[in-house]
Amino acid sequence: MAFQELIKNFDGVRSYLRQFYVYGFKSREEYDQKSARSYDNERRRVESWLGEHMRFRRNREGKQVFLSVDSRSIRQNPLYKALKAKSFTSKDVSFHFYILDLLAEGEAYTPGQITELLARRYFCHFPPEHLPELSTVRKKLKEYTALGLLQEEKRGKELCYSRSPETVNLRRWAEALAFYSEEAPLGVIGSSLLDKLENRPTHYSFKHHYLLHAADSEILLHLLLAIDSRCRLELTNLRRKSPGRPVCHRVYPMKIYVSTQNGRQYLLCYHYSFRRMMFFRLDYIQTAVLLEKEPEPEKYESFYRSFRSHVWGSSTGEDFTVDDVEMTLYIAEGEDYILRRLEREKRNGQVIRLDEHRLVYRVRTYDATELLPWIRSFTGRIEALKCSNPHVVRQFYADLDALDALYGGGDG
Amino acid sequence: MIFNEIYGTYYNMLARLLSQAVDGELTEERLYATVQQEGYEESVLTVPKALKEQSWPLLKEDLTTPLRHKPTMPLTELQKRWLKALLQDPRIRLFDPPAVGLEEVAPLFAPDTFVYFDRYLDGDPFEDPHYIRRFRCILSAIREKRRLRIGFAGTHGREHLWNCVPYRLEYSSKDDKFRLISANKRGVLTINLSRITYCQPLGLCAGEDYRPRELSKRVLILELTDERNALERVMHHFSHFQRETERIGENRYRLRLTYERGDETELLIRVLSFGPVVQVVYPEDFIRDLKERLEKQKKLRARE
Repeated sequence: MAFQELIKNFDGVRSYLRQFYVYGFKSREEYDQKSARSYDNERRRVESWLGEHMRFRRNREGKQVFLSVDSRSIRQNPLYKALKAKSFTSKDVSFHFYILDLLAEGEAYTPGQITELLARRYFCHFPPEHLPELSTVRKKLKEYTALGLLQEEKRGKELCYSRSPETVNLRRWAEALAFYSEEAPLGVIGSSLLDKLENRPTHYSFKHHYLLHAADSEILLHLLLAIDSRCRLELTNLRRKSPGRPVCHRVYPMKIYVSTQNGRQYLLCYHYSFRRMMFFRLDYIQTAVLLEKEPEPEKYESFYRSFRSHVWGSSTGEDFTVDDVEMTLYIAEGEDYILRRLEREKRNGQVIRLDEHRLVYRVRTYDATELLPWIRSFTGRIEALKCSNPHVVRQFYADLDALDALYGGGDG
Repeated sequence: MIFNEIYGTYYNMLARLLSQAVDGELTEERLYATVQQEGYEESVLTVPKALKEQSWPLLKEDLTTPLRHKPTMPLTELQKRWLKALLQDPRIRLFDPPAVGLEEVAPLFAPDTFVYFDRYLDGDPFEDPHYIRRFRCILSAIREKRRLRIGFAGTHGREHLWNCVPYRLEYSSKDDKFRLISANKRGVLTINLSRITYCQPLGLCAGEDYRPRELSKRVLILELTDERNALERVMHHFSHFQRETERIGENRYRLRLTYERGDETELLIRVLSFGPVVQVVYPEDFIRDLKERLEKQKKLRARE
């Protein structure tokens, strides 16, 4: 089959986008999803959508393809282009433009009238195989009504269709759209609104801007719809250690946890079989299917309220026991900015000033190992570290020794 | 759902082509130019053919169309629900878009559905009327390409009053802050908006005076060992930088990234947070700063 720029299903390319964008060192042979031909097609597609950001390198291991973007210098997430590459049929595209044109002056028609007018006004100019049938027109009218493009009303025994009124002044939303299409969840929706404007503002740029979440937009939307309607969900989740064997879970979804420091997004939910709160990474969720309404949502939401005060990041630890962590920092004169740093980065913990040179940070948390990266970022100022889980302190000092050895230090 | 052809690049491109056709202005040359401009890289191989051969029955042979109006599409329910959700965000007051048309719409999500668990807690006062006024003053100056006179508190609390050319507003989700990126005779100025206490628009910038300048950039080279899932953690963490990764051995990788000089301290502590799985191999002064911190830490440990 000839190469197609557009795709029917986003799932296949979702994983390639991640590989090209996050890693970017694999050669063709290392992509084990399906076949080499499938790789060639997906690579060519991604190149077609995002050519200006694609880079190539050739070494002993072969040719490597990767995406390289300085997210601070762009005004729009380039990965949105991939989400705008859905394929369609000849009927889809002709019905789209002709039905919206037919109803542009505010008329309402029955499906039969629409079919007849489509044939008489539009399709009569083209070969007869394009002539519309009532059943396909009816299907498209239903689809567009569900999307909100059309509205239906009953006149006598028949349903009549008209265009939904255009009541939002998008031009007055332009500045907000330019900002939120990059910053808000599901920004790709904002991008689709910006596409409607002749001129899009370019006054904003974004630092610490993680782009890959765009690839998980469809999954996130399903999760949000379930959270909003307080419905149960069935998730199919890939496991990091055995990605070929997805696992099914029934959960009650509650929150989306987002890291602004690595771009990862997590679903926080109650797991019915494991009978506990759990985090699932969005990029590992393959499918999310809405189930019935949860009859006791308040019960799980109350679990969450007591749970949240001891979460540092996205880990619940192994058994929901709480670790106590205490870090003492030594600050020299003129280093009060460290106190401000602790105050703004502390999350659930408490900061106490012991004396002119000593600051103590204390926190109770489910998984103290999650704090280690943050604690290490204070290297050079840590006077003491205590934790009810001795492994955490051992790990910290072992890492410090290893780091010292790496840069030519050590006790000798 | 979001992955739908009605939001797609092709539908937008076809709408532009059909608008020209409705005006009777579509020519073969414009057809190809529009596809090249609005489509993907290879769209030009398929779109003009599908239109000219009428496998998509939208254009007649003379490149006119049976459409009677320029194509437009009402907002979908999803788009309206997303807009309604934005109206609940504290930052929306900076932009003040009209809520008209969204009165009966349910927001797609509530603000507290999202928990930005590692966002810094000293974000900008987005709902402070003074902050909002200064934000809008700066935004207007950027839009109109005007010079600005700004007063701001320096890092040591000293008040400064400078004239500058504003270029853009930069937001960081991690810091939850806006910064003004501007320039004057001293070079590029990056100022936190919350530090700006005074703002007055001045005259328009002449063409030559308005040249957005780039912040000074440097290269950092890291080597990492894929232990404790380090590869994935490091790659995600640094994925917002322009970068290139190479495998240099079994479980060993080299990452080359470009960063802005002003972010060096922040980058240093980010590198430190990974501990011994990440080693900086370039530049030398970065390595020297790392060693200094390790040396200080060793001294503190010796006192225990």
